[in-house]
Amino acid sequence: MAQVEQFRYDNAIVRKFAYATMVFGAVGILVGLLAALQLVFPALNFSTAETTFGRIRPLHTNAAIFAFVGNGIFMGVYYSLQRLLKTNMYSKFLNEFHFWGWQAIILAAAITLPLGITSSHEYAELEWPIDLAIAAVWVAFGVNMFGTILKRRENHLYVAIWFYIATWVTVTVLHIGNNLELPVSMWKSYPVFAGVQDALIQWWYGHNAVAFFLTTPYLGLMYYFLPKAANRPVYSYRLSIIHFWALIFIYIWAGPHHLLYTSLPDWAQSLGTVFSIMLIAPSWGGMLNGLLTLRGAWDRVRQDPILKFMVVAVTAYGMATFEGPMLSIKSVNAISHFTDWTIGHVHIGTLGWNGFLTFGVLYWLIPQLFRTKLYSQKLANAHFWIGTLGILFYAIPLYWAGWTQSLMWKQFTADGFLQYGNFLETVTQIIPMYALRALGGTLYVAGYFVMLYNLYKTIKAGSFQAYEEAEAPARVATAGAHKGEHWHRWIERRPVQLLIGSTIAILIGGMVEIFPMVMIGDQVPTIESVKPYTALELQGRDLYIREGCISCHTQMVRPFRSETERYGEYSKSGEFIYDRPFLWGSKRTGPDLHRLGNKYPDSWHYNHMLDPTSMSPGSIMPVYPWLIEDDLDNSLLPAKIMALRTLGTPYAEGYEEEAIADAQRQADEIAARLRKDGIDGEGLEQKEIIALIAYLQRLGTDIKPAPQAGN
Amino acid sequence: MFKYILESAGNINWMAIASLLTFMAVFIISAVMAFRSQPAFIDRMANLPLEEPNPLNAENDRHE
Ligand code: HEC
Repeated sequence: MAQVEQFRYDNAIVRKFAYATMVFGAVGILVGLLAALQLVFPALNFSTAETTFGRIRPLHTNAAIFAFVGNGIFMGVYYSLQRLLKTNMYSKFLNEFHFWGWQAIILAAAITLPLGITSSHEYAELEWPIDLAIAAVWVAFGVNMFGTILKRRENHLYVAIWFYIATWVTVTVLHIGNNLELPVSMWKSYPVFAGVQDALIQWWYGHNAVAFFLTTPYLGLMYYFLPKAANRPVYSYRLSIIHFWALIFIYIWAGPHHLLYTSLPDWAQSLGTVFSIMLIAPSWGGMLNGLLTLRGAWDRVRQDPILKFMVVAVTAYGMATFEGPMLSIKSVNAISHFTDWTIGHVHIGTLGWNGFLTFGVLYWLIPQLFRTKLYSQKLANAHFWIGTLGILFYAIPLYWAGWTQSLMWKQFTADGFLQYGNFLETVTQIIPMYALRALGGTLYVAGYFVMLYNLYKTIKAGSFQAYEEAEAPARVATAGAHKGEHWHRWIERRPVQLLIGSTIAILIGGMVEIFPMVMIGDQVPTIESVKPYTALELQGRDLYIREGCISCHTQMVRPFRSETERYGEYSKSGEFIYDRPFLWGSKRTGPDLHRLGNKYPDSWHYNHMLDPTSMSPGSIMPVYPWLIEDDLDNSLLPAKIMALRTLGTPYAEGYEEEAIADAQRQADEIAARLRKDGIDGEGLEQKEIIALIAYLQRLGTDIKPAPQAGN
Repeated sequence: MFKYILESAGNINWMAIASLLTFMAVFIISAVMAFRSQPAFIDRMANLPLEEPNPLNAENDRHE
């Protein structure tokens, strides 16, 4: 037998990540609550650029996903990895680099997103310098993790660690894939792929951000902390092996279910559907494995708030992973997509699965780290009930709202007209549901603060030990598999093989899905009449991106009669070939805008952007007065034109030199039309609003008949 | 039921079939390897998280 070695677990780094989790959880849900309230009381946009919904929403999603759940992942990984491998972390320097690097990235996001610096790719909004920083920190985390694995004292890698490894690999691949962009300046870039291809890659990423950031690492945490909290081993370790391989293999394929009925080729949509439905099997296997771990211990679940949180978390995981596949069935998706149903669905996952599991882990971990008992079981129980109620009040109204609104969109009168031709009617109908959702959010926030108080008191009462003494026998290095050993044990004793295995598993899906699209240009039929944006339209488009209009508006008319009646001709993939980034959007709080061009006179847009309620009484769209006050900054225009030409947009040689003058010419025309309609203002032709109007009037017109007079 | 789902998914081409088959392979291999492992080994692995004693005798440990 090998000799017993002494070492010390590093708890200091775990505590740091735990504190960050606690702080950013509060930030994330408070910003979310603000966004929810803005949809009920538009005045809460505060008529200020930095606080409007379009910029607040990405701030909320990024804070919740990368700041709260991200720190939660690292907290759990740093605690469990050391103990499962019976060693301390590989490098103290990398610990610190990882921690402070990640917090610096969060800070950068918190500054740039409200400033409107965004790539507009959902959950990958951050601009390229921050993307690089993320890559550096992520690599540091990887080195630290693999270094720790290599110096382990335990031969075998517990299944939680497989989930961590798969997470690390996949996030690396996804992050690189979805952020291939050409910088124009420090804070502006254009994606390498355009239109349909950009969309496919974005949702391959977007879906797998859910899969490999919100799910697989948390499954790793579940497989460690649930047995710890329950003090009993996982129900079936065999099942966990199958759970792992099946899940990581299937997940990567499911992305196209975000793009059903869009201009994405049919076969890719079908693939997304089939794999999404298959996902039920491994997901439910994992859920049952978690729940059955508690078999015969339900009396303890009734008393112990930690186990209660975990049970609800795992149940929410099961619900979300049942609902997701259902929403991927085309006929269901036709109803649910673009509505708030999706928002309800995703919050079962985040509030229930991620939130509650994090709370369970915190309630368990903080007393361990501070060598004391939880300050109050009663308060933890109260948190549990308030939080659960919060989730219900959040999700049920949104399901209701999504369903109601979708049916209203599709409702025809007996004479074959849209019953609710005015989109706004379908919005005002569900505002009470939005109010209830905000109430649910408020409850959840309240519960969260109860937890913070409880943990604060626990910390106060305890004494922290930064380094915890431990001992374990040294690892006997095993060279080569001995005879008769099962090959899987061979894989799982060798982290590098496991790394390669899971990389292959996820790459197969990524390649089959994406390569044909990207490599074969003729998958996207070109349309003769589709031309690149003019300089001014391009500027307007970048304003649309900056303001985050995409968080309420889609640009994708699906081939349903209810949509072609309402919006016009359905969207063709060939129309988007110059769209960098694509702006199809994912939710319709406002109407689709793809066929907006020529629908209204310029002055309508001017007045509507200044105050939407002036044109659409009761509108919940924010006001945008600064677009009317601020001058358009054309300084980057030549660089933008050159960057886009490099990427393949056929701007004529030398256009970059004329671009500013050309933009001004078009602006003058629009300003002249506005003045004719009685809108005046000093320096009107220099204002941002003019560029935005140019873009809005261009939308969808490439294949749309010329405007009818007097419209 | 499955046929209906497949049909409603639209036209499936060879790529979809190939990926389904690959998945079946992954699934079968992982199932085989899970069920061929020795019980003692599986037991040892399942108990790994519990080998490490909780540093304090918190609520959780009293129920042994
Ligand atoms: C909070 C969600 C929200 C945001 C953010 C938002 N809108 Fe809207 N938008 C709406 C709603 C709701 C309507 C429907 C009522 C109305 O006409 O105001 C609407 C309507 C519109 C219309 C009229 C469409 C039509 O066919 O009648 C345009 C144009 C428009 N928005 C442009 C924009 C632009 C440009 C931005 C970004 C600068 C933006 N919106 C941001 C919610 C939003």
